[in-house]
Amino acid sequence: MALRTDKNEPSYEVRLDFFEGPLDLLLFLIRQKKINIHDIPIAMITKEYLEYLDKKQHLNLEHEAEFLLMAAILIYIKSQMLLPREKKEGWEEDPRQPLVEKLLDYERIKQISQLLRAKEDLQIKLWTRQDHPISFRRKEEAEIDLEEVSIFDLAEKFFSLLKTQQEDLQPFASKRQYSIEDKIQEILTILNQEGFLDFTDYFYRHSSLEEALVGFFSLLELIKRKIVVALQDNLFQTIRVWIIKGKTDGYPA
Amino acid sequence: MDIRLKEIIESLIFVSLEPLSLEKIKSLLADFPAEEIEKAVAELLQSYASNQRGIQIVQAAGGFLFTTKPDYDGYIRQLLEREKKSRLSSAALEALSIIAYHQPVTLAQISALRGVDSSQAVRTLLEKNLIKIAGRKKAPGKPFLYRTTKKFLTYFGLNSLDDLPREDELASLLEKKQGKDDVSL
Repeated sequence: MALRTDKNEPSYEVRLDFFEGPLDLLLFLIRQKKINIHDIPIAMITKEYLEYLDKKQHLNLEHEAEFLLMAAILIYIKSQMLLPREKKEGWEEDPRQPLVEKLLDYERIKQISQLLRAKEDLQIKLWTRQDHPISFRRKEEAEIDLEEVSIFDLAEKFFSLLKTQQEDLQPFASKRQYSIEDKIQEILTILNQEGFLDFTDYFYRHSSLEEALVGFFSLLELIKRKIVVALQDNLFQTIRVWIIKGKTDGYPA
Repeated sequence: MDIRLKEIIESLIFVSLEPLSLEKIKSLLADFPAEEIEKAVAELLQSYASNQRGIQIVQAAGGFLFTTKPDYDGYIRQLLEREKKSRLSSAALEALSIIAYHQPVTLAQISALRGVDSSQAVRTLLEKNLIKIAGRKKAPGKPFLYRTTKKFLTYFGLNSLDDLPREDELASLLEKKQGKDDVSL
């Protein structure tokens, strides 16, 4: 079994012999024992499966419930096979059939992912001019080619900041109410005075959780209306908000 | 053929950060006959496909793009002081395989096919812009439907979705691969 030794690989990729879910493990057992997938000896495979589950080795334990559910399904199938079955017009359905179909579907998915993985392995070795770190070809202030930040990235950054500030932030500031309109004006004023707004610095200006949330929603609103744009420096990971020229219509600062 | 045509096209592809489509090239060079442009592009690709070059022109997401050759990854990363580009997790890759072949699909369909809850995998793919929400299914709960994006094509070096092998071609393709490097689980 191949273990990755490359230290640059992210840790979740370290073990190749990691079962993503119950179908992955079942398929491995079937292929390892060279079992005919259309005639699975349920008793034997259930025993093997439960042994793995006991050891909890090589299992993705995020999906522990699903691994257990499959154990129950296997035992159910086994019980169905022991019972005398009803014959429907001379044709009887094998209780294993639905599982076999699932396994075959899953095997095809694994094959496709192998194929995509091979393509990915090649592609990540190709570099285009787009991959170039900004600082290398531009002076610090020439920011026009920075990468636009997605809403997901902004939200992630926002929530990670919230976490670090959890103890210092009061849920509500006393006797003050914040509105999105006011915050939008505040952001636009900062942008007009300073040219840009640093996302992290802006967060630390807030004194309460309520204010931080209103501020964040105001920023999202401005981005949605395409009045400002959030750009990230690929090298330093700083996010800055810039005004889009000529787009302050309706919002004179 | 105008001797400059090949050079003009080369310079256009060089400057483009995104794959430059043939249609775009044609619209920019409206003065030139379409068939001459196509011929010039073909010759340009030919000359880059030959050896003795560190860069190549690839066709991705329906356009042409300059990239470096894979063998020089290590040197380039030293220059740019970058780590190896990270790969997708197996879970994300499995979910993406399902979306690529069954799109548009819902999260429930993806999870059912994988046999495990796939919400985290789908979230990762959305964040990486490899998939997008393409409406809602007319079913109870109106779940989101997911599709692959243009970025999906460039990420895997595919020109279009038709570049993906058909499901019936998969088995033979993988047998060939298996023979070459004998992938053990």
